[in-house]
Amino acid sequence: MSTTARPAKASIGSRRGRIGLTRAVLVVTLIGLLDAAYLTYIHYHGFGALVCFGGHHGHSSCETVQSSTWSKLDGVPVALLGLIGYVTLLASLRIPGELGRAIGFGVALIGFGFSLYLTYREAFSIHAYCEYCLTSAGCLTILVVLTGVRFVRGEPARA
Amino acid sequence: MQRLAGIVLLSVAVIAVAVGISTGGTASHPPKTQAQRSALYSQVDSLLTGIPESGTTLGNPAAPVSMTYYGDLECPICQEFTLNTLPQFIEDDVRTGKASVTYRSFCTATCNDYSNGQAVFDSQQVAAYAAGRQGLFWYYAELFYHEQGQEGSGYVTPSFLNGIAGQIPALDKTTWQTDLKDPDLLAQVQADQQTGHSAGVQGTPTLFLKGPKGEMQAPSGVVEPGGYSGLASTIKAVL
Repeated sequence: MSTTARPAKASIGSRRGRIGLTRAVLVVTLIGLLDAAYLTYIHYHGFGALVCFGGHHGHSSCETVQSSTWSKLDGVPVALLGLIGYVTLLASLRIPGELGRAIGFGVALIGFGFSLYLTYREAFSIHAYCEYCLTSAGCLTILVVLTGVRFVRGEPARA
Repeated sequence: MQRLAGIVLLSVAVIAVAVGISTGGTASHPPKTQAQRSALYSQVDSLLTGIPESGTTLGNPAAPVSMTYYGDLECPICQEFTLNTLPQFIEDDVRTGKASVTYRSFCTATCNDYSNGQAVFDSQQVAAYAAGRQGLFWYYAELFYHEQGQEGSGYVTPSFLNGIAGQIPALDKTTWQTDLKDPDLLAQVQADQQTGHSAGVQGTPTLFLKGPKGEMQAPSGVVEPGGYSGLASTIKAVL
């Protein structure tokens, strides 16, 4: 009896952990999505609405980052690419099985790697930081860990 | 485990491509071939040709509206303004005789954030002012902004400054070289900085528009996409 009860208990705990992991991915993705949506809006409607703490050339440092050559990738705003990434991540949570988890992890990893590069550019090329970009980089750092663990651990077992 | 490795490899490949594309847009873009040089010069010439130039002033100095543009040739936000918003102002207001624009040097981040920044700033601004002695300041400034490099990277060298000068066929290079050493031009750059401080300038670009109804500072939004509307409404307010 005890040999069957213990695995069942562990399975429930594990299932809860996996559901918690998915929820954590959902919450962090939503934060990143809102951040990227705001930056995309600002990109197309002007920089005036940015609330930024740093300064550069007498303008907000966010404005400097957003108007720099690195704010676009082959003409496409990086903020928009981020937004697309977060939407894809969100959608991946709805895809069952390994495919959904793989897409989520892959997107998070790409976003993390590219945001690492952009943060390097902020520090060593632009010499100005955009708090919103750093927030997104933080979200992607958390997401790459969460989605990585989620991919390895697998789907929550059906109750 | 193999699938995990596959995802990592694929993701790294995508990141590498993205970084590659992004890095392609980082360096300054001095035209490499004669055809590219000619094309860029033609673009600048078509914007400025036929408009009177004197010193750092473009347009009729007696125009009802005069705009003072505090700028820094190395400032990326000035580049945004100069390449995106200023052309429409030049076409619609300067060319038509409604307004003139006078450039004044003002240094913020270039001087404060980078080693040797003040010397670099002085040399680049003096180079443009020296072209202004021949009525070609705006040709020099426009070409500089078009070819602007990574701020603080040390790209503004005598060779870079000579290269810009070499792209302006009407510029007498010997006279320009002589004028580079004229202390009056450096004094003018320094005087502009003082005037800017007195006027309360804190960043670049800062634009003041003066007309029959008084003087107003243009809203900061003029550097944004579609920023000309901010300039137009300021012109209307002072005219």
